[in-house]
Amino acid sequence: MLVWFLPLFLVFLMVGLPVFFGLLAAPGILLWLNGQERDLALLYRNVYNGMDSFPLMAIPFFMLAGEMMNRGGITMRLVEFSQACVGHLKGGLAQVNILSSMLFAGLSGSAVADTSALGSMLIPAMEKEGYTRKFAAAITAASSVIGPIIPPSGIMIIYAYVMGESVAALFLAGIVPGVLVGVGLMMMTSYLAKGADFPVSRPRATWSEKGQASLKAFFPLLTPVIILGGILGGVFTPTEASAVAVAYALVVSLFILRSMTMKDLPNVLLKAALTSSVVLLLVGAAMAFKTVVSLSHAPEALAAYILSLSDNPLLLLFLINLLLFIVGMFLDAGPAIIILGPILAPIFTDLGIHPVHFAIIMSVNLTVGLATPPMGLVLFVASSVSGEKVEAIAKAILPFLAIEIAVIFLITYVPSISLFMPRLFGFIN
Amino acid sequence: MKAILAANSALAAVLSIVLAIGRQISIGLMGLMVLVILIQVFFRYVMNSALPWPDEAARFMMLWLTGLVAPSAYRWGGFVAIEMLPQMLPKKLGALLAFFLLILAGLVLYTAIGLGWNHVNSGWLFNSSSLKIPLDLIGMGVVRIKLAWMYMSLFVGVCLLFAVNIELILRALLTFAGYEDELPVITQDEMLGAE
Repeated sequence: MLVWFLPLFLVFLMVGLPVFFGLLAAPGILLWLNGQERDLALLYRNVYNGMDSFPLMAIPFFMLAGEMMNRGGITMRLVEFSQACVGHLKGGLAQVNILSSMLFAGLSGSAVADTSALGSMLIPAMEKEGYTRKFAAAITAASSVIGPIIPPSGIMIIYAYVMGESVAALFLAGIVPGVLVGVGLMMMTSYLAKGADFPVSRPRATWSEKGQASLKAFFPLLTPVIILGGILGGVFTPTEASAVAVAYALVVSLFILRSMTMKDLPNVLLKAALTSSVVLLLVGAAMAFKTVVSLSHAPEALAAYILSLSDNPLLLLFLINLLLFIVGMFLDAGPAIIILGPILAPIFTDLGIHPVHFAIIMSVNLTVGLATPPMGLVLFVASSVSGEKVEAIAKAILPFLAIEIAVIFLITYVPSISLFMPRLFGFIN
Repeated sequence: MKAILAANSALAAVLSIVLAIGRQISIGLMGLMVLVILIQVFFRYVMNSALPWPDEAARFMMLWLTGLVAPSAYRWGGFVAIEMLPQMLPKKLGALLAFFLLILAGLVLYTAIGLGWNHVNSGWLFNSSSLKIPLDLIGMGVVRIKLAWMYMSLFVGVCLLFAVNIELILRALLTFAGYEDELPVITQDEMLGAE
């Protein structure tokens, strides 16, 4: 009977119950009906135990560092740096938008922060240069999904915690796929620029201009170097690195770039606290849910069903990508990873897929879902930033989504794209 | 309905104050968490002698931060949900569905309060492994902190979520009865009242 918690959970989710309550209500009701009241107490305790974690503390810290870096001047400096690099290309501002997203990804790790920070600056600028508003909003939304793929990444921390993987290995594994998505989007923009006659944003920057732009962006761009360098060099744990990133962001924003004042600080702290509290509760509920997943033997039943479809791992990976893509259309990446990770990952690990490889397939696929209609969160953010209708953006984003889907399959069938970096640094065998 | 409207207004006023206090405390906790971990980084890597308490102290603060600020996020509508079906339904039917979902959430929270109370009580039996009040510095004995103080964070959070849920149920009822215009407004500005 307990195995019915999964369909019940899906029903709760589809009718609009918040994921946090759904994760507790579905298994809770079935435990109660089964007369397993003692396990209800276990469910509650596992919510607490799930939240009481030192590695999980990296989530509020990275959110806080991102909030600080998101303030005013820093985004502008990244855009100026990108303009000096690719502004002279045909469709220059669209290329600037993508490159800025890749650089911003090294600071924040949130697609929503990327869309709102870069969109509010670049969408009006692109419109002024003759791009349609829907195209400007679409490229902003499409490129913002790079945020959670290139480290630091909130969803990778969640995945690592829920599945017991190494945060450092996942961070490293996300670098090449994130760059691939960015390069793919740039190639598509170049192709579209030829047909639509997009303007160049500015003449090719001189070496002196490039030097000046690099100097201005130096401090923000140093953030990912400190985070990754600290973790990979064995200097900090990921949680400590995230606290150091906060201290660094504070010093840079308050004293060096002066993009934030002491007056802004309480609001920045509160925003990070609000967002993190929701994520932490979700992770706690997911850990409780995971207990019931084990009790119910649902993974075994699901694994038997999946393996009955085919014993070819390549075909199964294709099917699972389809499933994840559909889930990503309706659910944010974080909750989807929390719910599906414990169910799907063991099945594919048993089939011989490396756990880090599967983590990247899942993370990238669900992250791309943030930009897919009907429920893609960044589409709504891009719509509110640009004033364009979601439907129009959803149509304009299709060529970029095609590229992102192609990258998902590339990552799926070429494991070394994900595994090369963690192997290089000795985090996996 | 007038009585429900009055009850909702009173509850909204109390929650606005209580949750604002929770938000202010959580701002301090967020800052302190960073500070405590940086102290640990300094002692571990510069002084080459890790302190025993910062990791647990930071977790203590993170748990309380979550318990105190998550109810504000819930009240503001910040809990992740797929809202496609309620939005697609006719207004009255959507409000009815929202009402039933709130009742279900309320049942989850009500059960959690009972389980949380037992959990907190079990925590009085155990000491924290590293957190203590150093009263020995003033000639008294060291007081070890009971785990119940940590367990209480989730219990308080669940109680506040339950109170917010009651307010949301009353709001749904009043919306269903056509009193939507008379409801007190919950705005994001109120949420970010720290500014």
